[in-house]
Amino acid sequence: MSTTMIQPNSALDLVLERVVDVPSKLVWAAWTKPEHIKKWFTPAPWTTVDCEIDLRPGGIFRTVMRSPEGQETINVGCYLEIVPNEKLVWTSALGPGYRPVIRAAGTASCEELYFTATILLEARGAVTKYTAIAMHGDEATSQRHEQMGFYQGWGTTLDQLVAIAKML
Amino acid sequence: MPNQQASQLNRVFHGLADPTRRAVLERLSGGPAAVSELAEPFRMSLPSFLQHLDVLESCGLVKSRKAGRVRTYRLTPQPLRVSEGWFEKQRAIWNRRLDQLDSYLIDLKEQK
Repeated sequence: MSTTMIQPNSALDLVLERVVDVPSKLVWAAWTKPEHIKKWFTPAPWTTVDCEIDLRPGGIFRTVMRSPEGQETINVGCYLEIVPNEKLVWTSALGPGYRPVIRAAGTASCEELYFTATILLEARGAVTKYTAIAMHGDEATSQRHEQMGFYQGWGTTLDQLVAIAKML
Repeated sequence: MPNQQASQLNRVFHGLADPTRRAVLERLSGGPAAVSELAEPFRMSLPSFLQHLDVLESCGLVKSRKAGRVRTYRLTPQPLRVSEGWFEKQRAIWNRRLDQLDSYLIDLKEQK
């Protein structure tokens, strides 16, 4: 019954906390329904063009991301833990049915980086506090990821920031 | 490192949080300019305007140099470049992802 404790390592794991002015049911839906995921999951200018969700432990979580140049990347993961409106855990290290992922050496995609993500939701009246935890394996994995340069181009430029700030 | 980057970003956003300062940045994106030139479009006292320039400089968005009696400012966009480190990139990606989620959630709520 009891769920596993998560112990983030500050050198490898990210812990992000947010409070958003919507009910937890809506936050849960945004994380668990493909039509929602496609709207927000991938940081712009990349987009999510497809998403498949089989919401049960061992079920698939697949997204297809498209770069601004039109290159598509498929990410396949597997859900580990599902507590509706409270907790969602998935990993990219396992495929559907918990089958360990084998990846060809040298493939330049973001799939190289194994991670386990945990989303914790806490209803506070009409408001929801949620915590996103992304756990990573080790430095070697992370450095390999860095060498791929996959995330180059996602940097924020002054122009973009000024443009955003003007709209505030 | 992540905290350092976060505090740098906080300073940057503080720098951007004012219309006068944003206008100065826009002007400087066209090239370096002297204080008198920068102050000209604004109806405010020089000391107040200089305070804005100080804020921009302290958050690393601009740099100034004095030649004789003229102080010239130029843009230094480095603080806005996302750090090269892997970890900081991951953090930036997640932050951006969650920013998108939060604004999407607010949209969803308003639609209902």
